[in-house]
Amino acid sequence: METALKLWTVIFAVGALNYLSRLSFIALFARRTMPPLLARALRYVPAAMLTALILPMVIDWHGTPADLATPRVAAALIATAVAFATRSTLGTLGAGMAALWLLQWSCAC
Amino acid sequence: MRHILVAKDFRDGFVEMLPACVGLVPFGLVCGVGAAAAGANWLGSLGMSAIIFSGAAQIVAAQMLAAGAPIAVIVLTTFVLGLRLLMYSAAIAPYLKPLPPRWQNGLAFLLSDQVFAAGIRRFHVGDDPHGAALHFLGSGIALWLVWQLACMAGFFVGNLIPSAWSLEFAVPLCFIALVAPLFRDVPSVLAAITAGIAVLALSHLPMKLNLMAAGVLGIVIGTLADLLRERWKPR
Repeated sequence: METALKLWTVIFAVGALNYLSRLSFIALFARRTMPPLLARALRYVPAAMLTALILPMVIDWHGTPADLATPRVAAALIATAVAFATRSTLGTLGAGMAALWLLQWSCAC
Repeated sequence: MRHILVAKDFRDGFVEMLPACVGLVPFGLVCGVGAAAAGANWLGSLGMSAIIFSGAAQIVAAQMLAAGAPIAVIVLTTFVLGLRLLMYSAAIAPYLKPLPPRWQNGLAFLLSDQVFAAGIRRFHVGDDPHGAALHFLGSGIALWLVWQLACMAGFFVGNLIPSAWSLEFAVPLCFIALVAPLFRDVPSVLAAITAGIAVLALSHLPMKLNLMAAGVLGIVIGTLADLLRERWKPR
């Protein structure tokens, strides 16, 4: 299939499914109350989902502890401490990037 | 329309989202580079960022297009990747309930990781759903606009950035800034630890299914810890 046609098919199909995912429960629960257990479970969506998104970007995991001893992991831990203490997005970014650059430069890896 | 744009809550939401947007610029650059590598022209790249409006889905779709994967496989993979949007949708649904359907449908389009986190924080504090909705709209529009600019910049000049800068590391840092402040109660910490271990242990699963599985496991453990904590609470 022609590249442009394939690209736009993907754009509209993925875009439509993404939108339906976003709209799903907003539309579903618009006119009824949510079960209390579901409401309780949803409080833990951000902590669980965001952590699951973050770790593969930070850790190149091949099943050995050495995968954890990298500048990226150390920089991410420093950024986590800064974010926990300050709740500042830019502070977290600054601390994390500065730590990564320093560590990469100092151990040249 | 004009009264929306001058509302204080709208402007607050717009301005408060800008620091998070700065962090998303490197993510957008990476997405723009990916679109160019997939053979898209500038309009195709803009279509990806404007219509899909999800960095994770755009990156994966671009990589799979470049690899010549069939359309059905690309669509299914990005759908699985986007299942977390279902959870965001469910979590924000109770707060959007008082709003008219037109607002619900519009705000749903802007629902993304960052907008969700900022929005849910604002909905938690106030008992003013309309102010919070305006705040949500402001932060969503700020993110959408910056996202288009960042992806376009990545499409045109992204390849000029030296890889030694490790700019892609700003992507997890953005998410860390959102999640770390949540680690103030035991169930949230347990949910995060569970999800973190699971996402690595299940990394061999195809189509990034480990993301969804780890999220669900973390939510189950967090909820169980929450229920147990309530039972043990002295009454």
